[in-house]
Amino acid sequence: MADAFESPVDIAAEVAPTALSGLAQMASAVAIAAFLLLLFNAHALASWADGLAPGPRTAPVNAAAQALAAQTQARGFDGPRAALKSGWDAVKAQRWPRQEAASQR
Amino acid sequence: MLFPTLDFAIFFLPVLVLVWTVGQASNEWRKIILLLASWIFYGAWDWRFVLLLIASAAINWSVAQRVHARVEAGETAQPWLGIGVGANLAILGFFKYFGFFLEELAPILARAGVARDLPVIEVILPVGISFFTFQGMSYLIDIARRQTKPASFLDITLLMSFFPHLVAGPIVRASHLVPQFARVPSLTRGMVAASLLLIVWGLFKKAVVASELATGLVDAAFFDPAALSGLDLLAGAYGYAVQIYCDFSAYSDMAVGLAGLLGYRFPRNFDQPYRAASLQDFWRRWHISLSSWLRDYLYISLGGSRGEGRGGVWFVCRNLMITMLLGGFWHGAKWTFLIWGGLHGGVLAIERLWREWRPSAAPFLPKPLAILIIFHIVVAGWIFFRADTLDGALAYFTQLAAWRPGIALTTPLLAGLIAFGLAIHVTPPALMPALARRIAAWPAPVLGLAVAVAVLIIDAMRFEGVAAFIYYQF
Repeated sequence: MADAFESPVDIAAEVAPTALSGLAQMASAVAIAAFLLLLFNAHALASWADGLAPGPRTAPVNAAAQALAAQTQARGFDGPRAALKSGWDAVKAQRWPRQEAASQR
Repeated sequence: MLFPTLDFAIFFLPVLVLVWTVGQASNEWRKIILLLASWIFYGAWDWRFVLLLIASAAINWSVAQRVHARVEAGETAQPWLGIGVGANLAILGFFKYFGFFLEELAPILARAGVARDLPVIEVILPVGISFFTFQGMSYLIDIARRQTKPASFLDITLLMSFFPHLVAGPIVRASHLVPQFARVPSLTRGMVAASLLLIVWGLFKKAVVASELATGLVDAAFFDPAALSGLDLLAGAYGYAVQIYCDFSAYSDMAVGLAGLLGYRFPRNFDQPYRAASLQDFWRRWHISLSSWLRDYLYISLGGSRGEGRGGVWFVCRNLMITMLLGGFWHGAKWTFLIWGGLHGGVLAIERLWREWRPSAAPFLPKPLAILIIFHIVVAGWIFFRADTLDGALAYFTQLAAWRPGIALTTPLLAGLIAFGLAIHVTPPALMPALARRIAAWPAPVLGLAVAVAVLIIDAMRFEGVAAFIYYQF
């Protein structure tokens, strides 16, 4: 029985009969996304591991995260994120002409 | 543990795996896994809060049994209902309003010459207490009204503890979720597409739009309005309107999306609120789960719109005002919230009176103009809502009216984000479902790649760290 309220996840999608089931689709997509993020955004994992309380349990986690970040950085996988970040920082640094004039004064 | 953090992702992924592996074999185990995960999630703030949550669920479950038994026997359930609602209000009142009443009581006693030391108790506000106590009350009232059936102790505890909605809603009622707990949920590709889209969209609204506006503009504008120009203060007010929408609707979107990935459906909580052409319309679009809660359990209980023989339209206006004042007070024990609620109640009452007494020859406002007027009434309310004190809110209005020239805070990016946050409201309402339908047809590798690219872009744009959601404090 459908519960009588509207939810934003109620999407009746037409998909090919041979397509993966919803569960397989989610599992595959989440696994692929997680793998790609580990590769291209290992810096985030390293920052998170850096914030863990130092101790015998967290030390191997931190070491592995730092090693992964160093490896991916050495192979240039951090390039896309770095380029995006510098582009965004340039947008953030934009000022109105009068704002610039005011700051120069 | 905040949704847009790696802490949460590292918590959520194992839960997702467990729920769809162990939980597939047994629905009871699925619910137990979700319950334990929810307690771990909530306990990350303070383990004592978990005990309060369990106690609250136990009270509501136990009272609901008695209310149901009375209703089934054809007897009045009012005494037990009163005890149950009273217990929820007592929990809410103690943790949320005790300090406020002591602060207000001390000068009154002093003026009356009863100068005495009042007990000083530092009450820690458990995160999300307003949400789970309202959930408990709606469960009891629904049982008494025969609108829902009593749930098992496991189901009612999971209903109140379920981590996607626990700390900032939506206020999911027993009639929404308990029937879903009765069966092993299934996951369609449409549900997966919509859930992932909502999570990524929510992440963008919170981590980029709301955080950038808060740190770059709004916090500074409300901290010292006297130091800023009129343009910056106007941008600060518009900025807060966009910030609170992008912050709160982001939480709701992520909550709906996370629950969706676990196989559960939550109701919609926002529907482009700033395109409302009346305040009544605004409340059909903003925090829908709270406004419908207030309508169903407070406004209607007060008599609602049935004013015949009880003062007519003035009775309805009274009910609107009481409902909105209590709605304001629900947000916290501060005069600014009461004024915010009073402003909304007052305008709703004026709208009601205008509908009642509008001369037939009076022209209708063009819709764009009505939307503009309502938006500015809402923005004026947000100034009270955001200000730390009543004096702070009045200072904001005073400085805004003084309109000092210049522009210091509002950069092109911040202006662009405000425009973006408002532009969201003029997109076709069917845009997200249409996009989700298209995404549902994508092969899994393409979907995974798209999610990764979106998260990478958001991570590059976001600040280091993330502030708590605004509604966590309620």
